[in-house]
Amino acid sequence: MNNELATNLDDLIAVSVAGHIAHPGFPGLPAEPYRLTSDGTPFLLPTYGGIVYNVSVGDRAFGWAADCIHPGVSILQADDNQNRGLNVFACIGNRAKVMTGGAAGTTGVVTGKSGRFSEQVIVHIPLEARTQMAVGDQVLVRAEGIGLELTDHPDVTLKGISPQLLAALPVQEREGHVAFGVSAHIPPHLIGAGLGLTSQGGSVHMQSTDRALLAELGLDDLRLGDLVALEDTDSRYNHGYLRGARAIGVVCATDGPRAGYGPGIAILMTAPGGQLGSFEDTGTNIVDLLDVTG
Amino acid sequence: MAQTERTNLWEHMNDELRWNVDNLVEMAVTGKVSQPAVRRGGYTPWPDGVGVMLPGMSGIIYSARVGDRAFGWAGDHVEPGVSIAHTDERADFALHYLTCIGNEAEVMTGFARGAKGIVTGEHARILVDFAPEVLEDMTIGDTIQIRTVGRGIRLEDHPGIEFKKTSPALANALGLRADGGRIHCPVAMELPPRIMGSGAELNAEFVDQDLMSGDRALMAELGIDQMRLGDLIGIRNVDHRFGRSYRDGWVAICICIHGDSVMTGHGPGILTLMTGPADLLEFDVDPAANIAHTLGIRGQA
Repeated sequence: MNNELATNLDDLIAVSVAGHIAHPGFPGLPAEPYRLTSDGTPFLLPTYGGIVYNVSVGDRAFGWAADCIHPGVSILQADDNQNRGLNVFACIGNRAKVMTGGAAGTTGVVTGKSGRFSEQVIVHIPLEARTQMAVGDQVLVRAEGIGLELTDHPDVTLKGISPQLLAALPVQEREGHVAFGVSAHIPPHLIGAGLGLTSQGGSVHMQSTDRALLAELGLDDLRLGDLVALEDTDSRYNHGYLRGARAIGVVCATDGPRAGYGPGIAILMTAPGGQLGSFEDTGTNIVDLLDVTG
Repeated sequence: MAQTERTNLWEHMNDELRWNVDNLVEMAVTGKVSQPAVRRGGYTPWPDGVGVMLPGMSGIIYSARVGDRAFGWAGDHVEPGVSIAHTDERADFALHYLTCIGNEAEVMTGFARGAKGIVTGEHARILVDFAPEVLEDMTIGDTIQIRTVGRGIRLEDHPGIEFKKTSPALANALGLRADGGRIHCPVAMELPPRIMGSGAELNAEFVDQDLMSGDRALMAELGIDQMRLGDLIGIRNVDHRFGRSYRDGWVAICICIHGDSVMTGHGPGILTLMTGPADLLEFDVDPAANIAHTLGIRGQA
């Protein structure tokens, strides 16, 4: 059942952007293959990129023996500018289609993005089709959502959210204010990697070094795909601290052991001064909102 | 600095504190004075999206020096003094990882050859202070050599405190004192952890973390807008050992290395010098805690 938020949907452009399944990578010798935990212990674990066979949107975000895994498949373009085109224009909830290889013709959905050092778009493809795919396969995204506006709430900036996902969000609307249902609220001192970096595409991570605090706030049972609100965070042009501001995003990558790198969050919308609200709606997840299957 | 002077420096260090300075290795690295660059369409947005084009990073900055204000410049990320880099990536990372604040630098080429300076920060490039008359003789591309020393420095009786980018000269200038098992450091001001921003994605051995100055009212309320380049800064409930993240009961002592920014999530650059648990490391606010005089950059206090 869709909400009735007024938008400029009729004016939006839908355009193709494509990427190829990213190959996981490590820096060459003499660099060590290890990354460091927040306590300084070296670790060598699977990380972002590639085809992931056993983690999907809807699964838990914490507890994997991994560092910031992208569920499903991760795509990018080799050329920097073209990759930026893919990363900025692809919106959460957009339809994706496998164009080459053994799973050609299979459709999926964009569920996330990642930022500095990886810059990939995260796509859910049904598990069975994933087993037919190869690194390098081309995935095409029907990109639609950049330029989308809430016409009754001009101070709320939408960021990389598809019209389908926007229409499916739980909402409470009143004059000059719109609030969305989220699974969790994240306080500003737990926002981490991504602060000060672009909010056109990419992601921002919550922090997870202080596990006792996460448990206390009930943040350690987040799932991939959960909607979350970032308190006192202004994500209009870069992500940063501002009292009263708010950003709402979707958990799109798993937790990791590094300082500053808890679960990755793709931002969907933001407002600087109280025009955007959020309310606790336990379990709000894009798997249900977008009817993701497989 | 001559060996004899160095020896004198050690002798003047606080007698209560035993440093491992005799075991530190001193090694030369070089960089060249960088040229400011602007990318095509290179506007920088304020938080409301208005784009501006401002100087600040790279090159020779004539008008902002350590000891001057960090806020209010018509510039973005203003890097005081001279910004140097190495064109070879591997050599550049050696320049970044080995250089410590307070290291001595020398101009090796050009009209200012032989002039001495002091390292005051590490940003995308290494920041070196020279006297104003020396700057007048320098040009883009001049080679600067740094005698790096300080990597590996520690206090023999306080192994739980980790130092970063701290030269022996800076260690001496910080004004540390031991109070039982706890080390106290004077700082010009305290910053709350919730405003620590860009740099959260980096390892803590590399450059700085910007404080987020976008909440301008908060900057005024807390007096943060009075910060000066070279100020020592204290932050509670952050762990800066292997990255920079929120951890209850930990402390970081840092230094302001570059000026404010218009960009969301950015602001003056705060570079880590010390970090440890709060029962081992504490700071006391003293508005005069700035390296401009204690390191002899603008004359002794």
